[in-house]
Amino acid sequence: MLKYLKELTEIKGVSGYEDDLREYIKEKIKDKIDEIYTDRMGNLIALKKGKGGKKILLDAHMDEVGFMVTNINEDGTLSFAPVGGVDPRVVIGKKVQIGKDVTGVIGYKAVHIQKDGMMNTPKYSELKIDIGAKSKQEAEKQVKIGDMVAFTTQYEETEEFIIAKALDDRCGCSILMDLIEADIQSENDIYFAFTVQEETGLRGPAIIAEQLNVDLAIAVETTTSGDDPELEKQLWSTHLGDGPAITFMHSGYVVHQKIFEKLVEIAQKNNIPFQYKMRTVGGTNARRYALTNIPAGVVSVPARYIHSPISMINKKDYENTLKLLEQFVKEA
Amino acid sequence: MSNIAKELNTKDLLLKLTSIPGPSGYEDDVLNEIANVMKAYSDECFRTPMGSLVCVKKGTGPKIGFFAHADQIAFMVAKIYEEGFLRLTGVGGWDPKTIISQKVWIHTKNGKLRGIVGFMPPHLQTTEESKKVPDYDHLFVDVTMNPNWKDISIGDLVTIDVEGFEKNGTVFAPAIDNRASCVSIIKAAELLSKLKTSAEVYYIFSTQEEIGGPGAKSGAYLSEVEYGIVIDVTHGDEDIPGYPKIKMGEGPAVAVGPVTNRKFVEHIQNISSKYNIKTQIEPIPGRSGTDTDEVQLTRIGVKTALISIPLKYMHNPYEKVYIKDIEDTAKLLAFSATELPEIEEGQSC
Repeated sequence: MLKYLKELTEIKGVSGYEDDLREYIKEKIKDKIDEIYTDRMGNLIALKKGKGGKKILLDAHMDEVGFMVTNINEDGTLSFAPVGGVDPRVVIGKKVQIGKDVTGVIGYKAVHIQKDGMMNTPKYSELKIDIGAKSKQEAEKQVKIGDMVAFTTQYEETEEFIIAKALDDRCGCSILMDLIEADIQSENDIYFAFTVQEETGLRGPAIIAEQLNVDLAIAVETTTSGDDPELEKQLWSTHLGDGPAITFMHSGYVVHQKIFEKLVEIAQKNNIPFQYKMRTVGGTNARRYALTNIPAGVVSVPARYIHSPISMINKKDYENTLKLLEQFVKEA
Repeated sequence: MSNIAKELNTKDLLLKLTSIPGPSGYEDDVLNEIANVMKAYSDECFRTPMGSLVCVKKGTGPKIGFFAHADQIAFMVAKIYEEGFLRLTGVGGWDPKTIISQKVWIHTKNGKLRGIVGFMPPHLQTTEESKKVPDYDHLFVDVTMNPNWKDISIGDLVTIDVEGFEKNGTVFAPAIDNRASCVSIIKAAELLSKLKTSAEVYYIFSTQEEIGGPGAKSGAYLSEVEYGIVIDVTHGDEDIPGYPKIKMGEGPAVAVGPVTNRKFVEHIQNISSKYNIKTQIEPIPGRSGTDTDEVQLTRIGVKTALISIPLKYMHNPYEKVYIKDIEDTAKLLAFSATELPEIEEGQSC
């Protein structure tokens, strides 16, 4: 368990640039499954065959939120825009990687020389990446417009917790890889879909229904918690340590009743701790599967501070999510 | 056998010094490291009652002091919640925009613990909340990942955990304000160990500048210097209306104004021309906000100058400096001390 999560979170893969993730995952799983291929959008799809039971798809998205270089300025700095939802308040003072190997810093004018309104949320158009280049010409030798920009946070593990960037949704990718590793014996065919471009509008899975004839899909996700002093308890979404979050509804999709109930039933029957996701904000690939006529459910590992350079999960939640999914693919 | 034959590498020294936390009032670790390097170039080193490190190169001529503060801005734990979260207060002037989503260290009596400055994901914010940057009442640090987080006490120091690096001749690192100036003094001491000078030179690495404290003044008092050059940082590559733009990579900025001695400043400018060291001019019409203001008023008065290294993103977790600007500052300091002028009394501004 958790063998791959460190490397998974440290690989940079902003939506549209999932290549390194896909190569990494493919390399690690290709000898442990029956079929594997990459589709036209870049989704990596692997099959572990059963014995004529249902066809179940487990989805985890490979992409993470980040940025793209939108301009190279005369003074050698880079303008950039978010890819997926990143609050401009979490980006200042961070080291970032541009493209494959250029390092830069998102700096901000010194507090001493700021004018009124310094407590207003900054706009992306005011922010710049500094790569130490003295001019546009010098910068152009190192980067180009369209390059991916990713956070660079290093993975850390304590007794109970994991701190990393991109846990949304490398945590899901890691769970799928751990399930493959576990070599589950099931009647059901299990498809593992490592998908692209979730953060820019649930795009990767849109083409999967045409390729595979599956009975149902589960989005294996990493979801918000909000269990901190800034939010009253009744507004929390989930609570770290209380087990996998099972979603009954989220933005644009009421989870298929039978799938929702089955997940709850399996958790209860096997004494796996779980919690309901208490807020219906945010969306997952489950909606995209539903839009293409595949009934879908959502199981998530609760995480603090997602969509920022640094997020955190509880290892027990990870373990119980893994257990719940293992039972689900056996019993569903 | 000389152990100082190998020239100090400016970049390595800066990265080393910026990697050691030294918040105002807690400068021991960084000053010990500086003392280790400086003993090769000094006849003696001592600490003042206010903690500042003073290293002396003996001489028979006039006394001159180079002053750089060694402290940096940081935080202290102001409140601890039962669930494992903290509130902070700033030691020195932070911009709250730069603190969110950083890894931090909490320096407890039993060693340092991990913390992360949390932030509500966009999914859970209201539109109203998203318009403002949280202040110290709303910023919080999550320490729940430490099984022993209860070791944390009110008043424990907190520092941001970022690591410096070099890129295209510039360094991005924490606390370049004012470790860059410390490095320029060390490099000047190295140079002066090879140059001929009669001056008695005091290298003073002072404490508590960021909170307007007594560190530099205590050094000036004990050393009884006649001349004092304060080295600090100034905003580089920023447009400040009505003022010349101080450019990064174009050499140190020499201050002109009432907190400096006009004749002494002219001397430094002459040295700059004579030795082809690029400098810029920074007009400061009143108080400078640096240790110069207090050093000038020590004992019977000190003939002061203020030399500032251009720095971008001051008080950000990563500040930026040009390595060449630090080296030019070191040269300017060393040569300024080799041929000190006679300045009559009463010729301040």
